[in-house]
Amino acid sequence: MNELSRAQIRDLMAQVLKNQDKELPADDAAQLREIGFRSLDFSELALRVEDETGEELNFDAPGLRRIATVGDVLDFLVELQHQ
Amino acid sequence: MSEPADTQLVPPSSVVLVSGGSRGLGLAIVTDLLDAGVRVAAFARTVTPELEKLAAEHPDRVHVGSVDVTDLRAAQIFVREVEQRLGPIDGIVNNAAMGQDSLHAHTAADDIARIIETNLTAPLQLTRLVIRRMLAKGLRGRIVNITSICGQRGFPGLVAYSATKGGMDAATRSLARELGGRMLVNSVAPGFFASEMSAVLGPTQLDQIVRRTPTGHLTEPVEVTPVVRMLLREHTNINGQVIVVDGAAAI
Repeated sequence: MNELSRAQIRDLMAQVLKNQDKELPADDAAQLREIGFRSLDFSELALRVEDETGEELNFDAPGLRRIATVGDVLDFLVELQHQ
Repeated sequence: MSEPADTQLVPPSSVVLVSGGSRGLGLAIVTDLLDAGVRVAAFARTVTPELEKLAAEHPDRVHVGSVDVTDLRAAQIFVREVEQRLGPIDGIVNNAAMGQDSLHAHTAADDIARIIETNLTAPLQLTRLVIRRMLAKGLRGRIVNITSICGQRGFPGLVAYSATKGGMDAATRSLARELGGRMLVNSVAPGFFASEMSAVLGPTQLDQIVRRTPTGHLTEPVEVTPVVRMLLREHTNINGQVIVVDGAAAI
């Protein structure tokens, strides 16, 4: 299966933020609230990952609500590709 | 189609079929109706120990079975069993439903189909099955659809679910017209419960709802059961309505 690495997902995340004139900090511990990465931005990122891999990534909302940092986003999407 | 009104009153239901009666609101409805002296038939995908216990306590007034609401054949067999054991069904509570907690964009297409099948197609088919038998026997009766505040107000993560609940509310109105006063058809639309399916909303969302609720608390099943009982048992002229039980959260 065509799968994106954590670093590749990080690049896509930076693009999503760049389109809104925001910057992705290098620190995985950075808080999403502080950098202005919201739940629909997460949707956008997930759909970009889908576009790259050609695989649908469906998921429930509870997992989404636990995401607070940049690292959480990357972990979630890496994990989701394995499901 | 305008015909002379049927002015005979619809009597209180005496044998009530409750779908999804094994836990949560469904179990509370079964318990409440038994306390009111009604004969109750309840099915659910899985019969819980709580429902088994009620069946054991009232062997002559309860019939329970393991039926998936989307399995129309199994529902038909269950309805026949109920009629043999408890007598003709003259009341139905469409309560069985599945929840949702996923953004529409990230909900699998199959899951959307499953939610609609369980929450909209299945209750419409079960209602058809029961009203056909009631009409054939010349019985009058009551239908109560358990819907949700989601049928009228928007909540993220509940798009397909809301569509089914709004769909049942719409069906309630048309069915009330179609059945021309031989059956009273209403919806009861609870707000969010603290437990059960409202695990669909996160703690932050639930806190927000509580803050906006004049009565200051989420809805409890025991606050909904008296309304369901009234619609099944009391002489009222309520027909084709959606009664919201949410402490005015959505007002």
